[in-house]
Amino acid sequence: MQIGLPEGDYSWILNLVFFGFIITMSLYGQKIQMWQWLKQIEAGLIELKRMAIESRQSAIDAFKEHGTEEEEVAKEIDRWLDYFTIMPVDLDPAGILTRLDHLLDQRRDRFQEFVTDLTPDASNSERMNLENTLEVTQVLSLIFRIVRHFYLLGKKTGSTIMVMQVQMIMPELLRLAKAYSDAMEAFAQGKPIGDGIGPLVVTKLAREYEATPETYVHEVTKEVGYYPIEVEGRTVYALRATGPGGTVGKPGFAVKKIVADNKGKIARIITVDAALKLEGEEMGRVSEGTGAAIGDPGPEKYAIEQAATEYGIGIEAIVIKEDEAAAVGVMDKRVLDSVPEVIERIKIAITKRTKPGDKIILAGIGNTIGIGL
Amino acid sequence: MGTISKILGLALTAGGAVILAYGMGPDAGGLSFILFTVGLVVMSVGFSLLTAGRKKEEVKASLPTVTEIRCNGCDFKEIRDYEKGDYILKPLEANCPKCNGKMTIEGVYVVREESDQDRF
Repeated sequence: MQIGLPEGDYSWILNLVFFGFIITMSLYGQKIQMWQWLKQIEAGLIELKRMAIESRQSAIDAFKEHGTEEEEVAKEIDRWLDYFTIMPVDLDPAGILTRLDHLLDQRRDRFQEFVTDLTPDASNSERMNLENTLEVTQVLSLIFRIVRHFYLLGKKTGSTIMVMQVQMIMPELLRLAKAYSDAMEAFAQGKPIGDGIGPLVVTKLAREYEATPETYVHEVTKEVGYYPIEVEGRTVYALRATGPGGTVGKPGFAVKKIVADNKGKIARIITVDAALKLEGEEMGRVSEGTGAAIGDPGPEKYAIEQAATEYGIGIEAIVIKEDEAAAVGVMDKRVLDSVPEVIERIKIAITKRTKPGDKIILAGIGNTIGIGL
Repeated sequence: MGTISKILGLALTAGGAVILAYGMGPDAGGLSFILFTVGLVVMSVGFSLLTAGRKKEEVKASLPTVTEIRCNGCDFKEIRDYEKGDYILKPLEANCPKCNGKMTIEGVYVVREESDQDRF
């Protein structure tokens, strides 16, 4: 190999190429970079659009099974995809959680009204599943529209920082959208999802202690009830949302209500929930901690913490680690296989940290789609 | 567009490699440095065209959902394809073929592939 500076007559070519390259890159380097970023966002947008369209079609198919014409369903769903909730004002944070809870209640009522209007002959469980289907469609549509907004705005204004941020966050958005897109099947068909592991654990434990669907006390709060069971001489309120329709209910307020009904004489509150695993952690890994394991926007967790603090009740959490796709998708075998271990840990918590005669609240937090009572 | 850019990318990569090889050879003489640079640039443009655009979508069949049924009285267990209306803890009307006892759906799940273990 002989690489050396060109001799004599040709040196000007190299100089010209070199300076040409420097000048081009100085003047247009950023534009070239922007063009590259925009192309990458465009590719992601095509993918997001496909997922949004497919989920919309799945929702239409699921709704029209209940007798309404496809055209009408499509029209109504399109109208509903833009539905928004305005978060409460936080300049004066006093009472914000009460206001947020009120808004979330209103939102859910509107969802239920919408689904009931479109599917008058569907059962309650089916309606709950359709509500979930609609929410997933809404999420995918929202992700697509927001990314499209920033793409077009970035292109229009030539704002490097806007385009750069969207390009950088795109892989994460695509991962999230794919998780929800894959989950459509579960919601549309009423299959159990990974997030339902909390209620499942509670039900399986309750069944070990003679609980049946008939012993389940309904509607302590909206769509949440409990099995009263005796575990090693302790009274356990094994609390979960009603199933097998897809609902999370209001378990936080149910805990608060049971504590109040017992005048604070509760020895321990144990929450069981699915938690997002860190990359590298194994799926279905069981972890314990202190606090209320509940992933709501705030009011539910606050209700549990407030009740526990007011009466000095011990509070602990057991979580089952999953990734986003497993949490919103059909339940993974490894997550299901964690049930015996979680039950064992609950039994240890009960026998070790409470005494016979105590009352305990065991709350299984999560979506009960596909999980029977 | 996709196929044309791939063909063009391949041609440029090959052309770049030839220029590069010639530039590194003894016949290039005083032009060796220029040919070497030009070859690299042409090759990189070719590679960019080859790898640009969306990756071909992997057509992944959705994972089959299975239903696990267990007998309440004995150790009988059956795994079958998911059927609409199945849910976990659903009591079944069919009796256990082994002991004629009641059966319940104990699991509805998918078996996802284990991702390759990282070094950490």
